[in-house]
Amino acid sequence: MNLGENIKLALASLKANKMRAVLTMLGIIIGISSVIMIATMGNIMENSVMDIFNSQGGSNLVGFQITMKRDAVRNYYMDTDLITEEMVESVNERFADDIDVVSMSGGSESASMRFHREDLDLMVYGVNPGYIRQSMTEVIAGRYISEKDLDKRGSVCVISDKQANKLYGSPREALGKTLSFNCMGTGYDLTVVGVYEYKLNGLMSAMVNMMGEDWNNEVYIPYTTLAKMEGINESSFFYFYININNGVNAEKFASSVRDYINNRWYRDNDSIEVWYQTGESQMSMMSEVMGIISTVISVIAGISLLVGGIGVMNIMLVSVTERTREIGVRKALGAPNGAIRSQFIIESVIICLIGGAIGIVLGILLGNIAGVIIGTMASPSAGSIVLAVTFSMAIGVFFGYYPANRAAKLDPIEALRYE
Amino acid sequence: MNPIISMNGIVKSFYIGTPNELEILHGLNIEVPEGQFVSIVGASGSGKSTLMNIIGALDRQTAGRYILDGIDMSKQDDSALSGIRNKKIGFVFQTFNLIARTSAMKNVELPMLYAGVRSKERTKRAKELLEMVEMSDRSSHMPNELSGGQKQRIAIARAMANDPAIILADEPTGALDSKTGRLVMDIFHKLHKEQGKTIVLITHNPELAEETDRIITLSDGNIVGDRVVSEEAAAE
Repeated sequence: MNLGENIKLALASLKANKMRAVLTMLGIIIGISSVIMIATMGNIMENSVMDIFNSQGGSNLVGFQITMKRDAVRNYYMDTDLITEEMVESVNERFADDIDVVSMSGGSESASMRFHREDLDLMVYGVNPGYIRQSMTEVIAGRYISEKDLDKRGSVCVISDKQANKLYGSPREALGKTLSFNCMGTGYDLTVVGVYEYKLNGLMSAMVNMMGEDWNNEVYIPYTTLAKMEGINESSFFYFYININNGVNAEKFASSVRDYINNRWYRDNDSIEVWYQTGESQMSMMSEVMGIISTVISVIAGISLLVGGIGVMNIMLVSVTERTREIGVRKALGAPNGAIRSQFIIESVIICLIGGAIGIVLGILLGNIAGVIIGTMASPSAGSIVLAVTFSMAIGVFFGYYPANRAAKLDPIEALRYE
Repeated sequence: MNPIISMNGIVKSFYIGTPNELEILHGLNIEVPEGQFVSIVGASGSGKSTLMNIIGALDRQTAGRYILDGIDMSKQDDSALSGIRNKKIGFVFQTFNLIARTSAMKNVELPMLYAGVRSKERTKRAKELLEMVEMSDRSSHMPNELSGGQKQRIAIARAMANDPAIILADEPTGALDSKTGRLVMDIFHKLHKEQGKTIVLITHNPELAEETDRIITLSDGNIVGDRVVSEEAAAE
């Protein structure tokens, strides 16, 4: 009795009990489709995160920020602990060969403006020219904040495409216009020199769209200008980013910059020093988090597969009992135990494989529906499909074996007598 | 002629080693020559079924020697016994026992499937067998679409599938009315006469037994009568 005959037999028996077969498969379908859906959505998330990561410089990105020393005597920051322009400039000169762009943000202030009879909220960010690399934005009209703006503490700003459309009709028309707003009780008039839009895809753009206007009310101005508005002479920073040139070892570069800054400016600080994080380590942290999330969800999916498998076993036991007489007849006609066993195992494997196949299709479908909603298509990796197929087959064999073995070991005389 | 069935001192006990030990067959000696149509009769509880199970290789004797077509049955393990049932014995049951939701054709093919006969040959042989029992026009019918007599004819065709040494029929007409029962008996006679099949018929119907060559009567696990009926068999 070969495999083909067994498969035909199993299909015939499933056809005879369609409703039952479908209900039994349901457990497997739900389990497998959730596994595949999770794998698909995991890919979507990973792609989006990778997109952002790469747009910000990928593994060429190094971040520096102040942090508590191990033997800190305070647990708070003072103004004198912050990173100064002087430090960044000095780093920029000393490591000029390795550095592509430095990006800094001197913080932000909220502001408001009147437009027709509406009060609009703004968020004013003080940035340097390099900051555009970190902000996931792109200038679509005019220009970004320049070095000259920084030096002159220029009254210029870069606004979003949505603001430009709303306030001035279009990005082009916004250029050269004056943006008047109120910040910390004082009125300011800034000249619009550029318009940006978010260059995002996938998950992030979905999130931006969901948050609506809130993400588009950011106005970028020189950080020196922001400092002036805040009444500070010298800007200072909690952190800054450096995009290094290709081919520069990020880890080595970051540690020498850290040592340089710490030796020169933080040696005598009792509590604070500068600490770095490379894009690589940030990425591995993120993928670790995503790994944990997908592991947890996979365990849940695994439990549902286990429940599905128990369902298969249950139905196979019922099937064996129902067909006791048939098993007796088959044995009387000369079926060896092995043939009976493989007949039932194959039946259970086929239930699981059909369930698995439907589950895979359904999972891809659901995953992509989710993908359409958040704006990216993704397919699960071939590995996860192979895994799903293998796993559903394994469930079939594992949960089918016990009932099949019970069938195989039936005494033919007893079985023939079974009513 | 060589004996197809040779039984010597067959004893069958149940619950061996327990206080309830029960001896059903008390040392039977039976020899059936090839080509004989023999009936085994007896009241219920006489040990008929137990004997049939041993003859049909569904069960093993506790003591004694049983040789079927030259094979010493006491020396066979379970898997060898299924092979013997498959190739040497053709079962016909009182309740037909066709596999449900499986066409007449597929039912007839089943023993050949387990014997590893190739699909083409199976189909060819099954067609011949269905023709023999005059059921060619029902080959694609499912068992629930067939009458009792038709089912039993299919079952006989199935029993013949691997050209067994013996046909073992357990009350084959028990579930049929007398007219269809007659038809089934005629097929056995035809198999016996035309193909020289050895047939063992288990029955409690004395009239049917009278049609066979020889009647072995069983009572309380002993053979109480062994009578040759037909002149044909007597001549041997």
